[in-house]
Amino acid sequence: MDSIDLLLNGFATALQPQYLLYALLGVLVGTAVGVLPGIGPAMTVALLLPLTYTLDPTAAMIAFAGIYYGGMYGGSTTSILLNTPGESASIVTALEGHKMAKLGRGAAALATAAIGSFIAGTLATIALTFVAPYLADWAVSLRPNDYFALMIVAFVTVGALLGSSPLRGIISLMGGLLLGLVGTDVTSGQQRFTFGTPVLADGVSVVIVAVALFAVGETLYVASRLRRGPISIVPVTSGWRTWMSRDDWKRSWKPWLRGSAIGFPIGTVPAGGADVATFLSYAAERKLSKRKDQFGKGAIEGVAGPEAANNAAAAGVLVPLLTLGLPTTATAAIMISALQTYGIRPGPLLFDSQPALVWALIASLYIGNLVLVVLNLPLVGMWVKLLQIPRHYLYAGILVFAAFGAYANKFNYREVIILLVLGVAGFFMRRYGYPVAPLVIGMILGPMAEEQLRKSLMISQGDPTYLVTSPFAIGAYAFLLLVMIAGLWLRHRQSKLEARLAAEDLATREREAISVDAQVTEGSHRSGPQEE
Amino acid sequence: MPTQRDGAPASEREPLPDPRVTDGTSVTSDTTDGTASANEAESAATASRPGNFVGEIVFAVLCVAIGILALVVASQIHVPPTANTVGPQVFPYIVGGVLSVVGLATLIAVFFGARGEAEDSEDADATMGTDWLTVAKLVVFFLAHAFLIEYIGWPFAAALLFFGAAWALGATSLWRAAVAGLAMGLVIELAFGVGLGLSLPAGPLLNWIPIFNG
Repeated sequence: MDSIDLLLNGFATALQPQYLLYALLGVLVGTAVGVLPGIGPAMTVALLLPLTYTLDPTAAMIAFAGIYYGGMYGGSTTSILLNTPGESASIVTALEGHKMAKLGRGAAALATAAIGSFIAGTLATIALTFVAPYLADWAVSLRPNDYFALMIVAFVTVGALLGSSPLRGIISLMGGLLLGLVGTDVTSGQQRFTFGTPVLADGVSVVIVAVALFAVGETLYVASRLRRGPISIVPVTSGWRTWMSRDDWKRSWKPWLRGSAIGFPIGTVPAGGADVATFLSYAAERKLSKRKDQFGKGAIEGVAGPEAANNAAAAGVLVPLLTLGLPTTATAAIMISALQTYGIRPGPLLFDSQPALVWALIASLYIGNLVLVVLNLPLVGMWVKLLQIPRHYLYAGILVFAAFGAYANKFNYREVIILLVLGVAGFFMRRYGYPVAPLVIGMILGPMAEEQLRKSLMISQGDPTYLVTSPFAIGAYAFLLLVMIAGLWLRHRQSKLEARLAAEDLATREREAISVDAQVTEGSHRSGPQEE
Repeated sequence: MPTQRDGAPASEREPLPDPRVTDGTSVTSDTTDGTASANEAESAATASRPGNFVGEIVFAVLCVAIGILALVVASQIHVPPTANTVGPQVFPYIVGGVLSVVGLATLIAVFFGARGEAEDSEDADATMGTDWLTVAKLVVFFLAHAFLIEYIGWPFAAALLFFGAAWALGATSLWRAAVAGLAMGLVIELAFGVGLGLSLPAGPLLNWIPIFNG
């Protein structure tokens, strides 16, 4: 088969010592930064973008793939061992994983997360290997109006579904589109929104915006409400060698596979993202488990499934990224901007124009996954130490690195000022519940959408019905409607589930408090939480 | 994104310091203390902080204002006579229009009680009030960093930012923060400036050393 040959070529590239080194470094740094609390995958990738300024594109993308997977992976360690879940994609892992850790089964939780991530990551990468080339072939035949429809789908789903408030999501998206407009219009050569200043004539760099919103904005927000006092980390009691019992394996392997099957397709859909995938996998495991009573108290299925789904979705996100040039998560948007800095135009032609790069990247995903699982179990002790970094040093370091990234962008202190201004904006966005991811995605997608809109209307000589009459466009808009309904329904389910889990959690705790006084007041349908 | 969860008794809203941190060996059944409940309690408190209301209104008004400004600026974009059906103005008009309308809708929604949900974060304690002083300190040190890069060199400006931020965020050992900042500045300078050839200015204090002057 054709793509197997190409993949083997990719491996030949990726296995060259220097690229292997970059993959290793990427995975290590990505995991380390991902483990650090407060830093999610998007911030990891944004902060580490300067690392790639001086590498050749292949090396940079390989390092990036490692950072991406490593960052995704690192987050699970944080949510299992630290009692404060961060981003929503890891909330369910925290729910079960953290409780497992408290029961002294932290090592098992970490192991099932690591092995599940490896299995899901590998399966999803295999799917990517075979799906992507065909999709790219097909995507070449898409016309500007089809593309425009695709972008509208991405806009609406990203704006309305990423985050808790659709209105605020759309405002954030529009902010991104507006920032994307700043600069010189390529088609007409006119300056737009530059206010006559030369600094803005080249436009605002996506890197600056991403670093500002994710690193500076987050730091300012955390600073405004910093959790003082000691950091409580659940220690990993047993060594990693005793990670999983036979029973744990038996209970984990099906969730791993189901998680992969759920995560990958959801990752490929705009605004699917890891968040929805983890939630769906968790709901499925809860429903299918024979030991429902353990859910909410440290059920291993509740870690295995969502973690697998999480990583499968991360690979799924790469499908639209590589085949259509369509970023569906903030992390993907930043990766696209990295490609653009090398003058590489992401899109369906990428597989034809840059086969060496694309296949080396895909091959390095396999390698990165393997490195991750090999590294992570033995290195757990090191990652735990990272969690104990005093927060004032951690956030001071984030700020310095963010400032470095901005300065290294153009070697001009004004970039650092722009970074700060956008960072303050990001602070207020966080504070008032405006999701920042749509802004970053909008900034990347905006110029593409405008280009396709103009091309479409040039072809149709100004007839706007051309935009909605192609079969693909009709399909896309119908799909949009479906996703919106499904998405809003899912969100409803999700908040209900979260509310119920919180209530159950509270009830459990209250019951324990009461049972200390040896008086059980509620007729319980559950057994006690410490049945282990 | 946890929504408002109800039911956390007020007594549990205090995040309790966790005594288990130093206990590195055993975690047994005494683990359901206040730390976990603080998680749930904090999201219950998020939605109902009165100070946010004015801020949310101001932010929404600002969004509408930016939308209108975008429309005004868009109307002034020069359209070359050669431009065909869709010129450089169309997309800005759409963006400005949608931003104004959705901003207005948000403003109305906030007015009628649909409040924003502050983002969750591992290190943020949503039950706390806003510590504006710390935020202001960080902003000041950031500005100082930006303006000093060209005078004292990148590594020292970075060290200042690190030190200032660590101090603002509650570092107790100031000399350790200073040393760590200096180390970080110099390591980045060495790795990226010297090693990878990015032109980070080393500054007058280091320029006499040959390796920094490449």
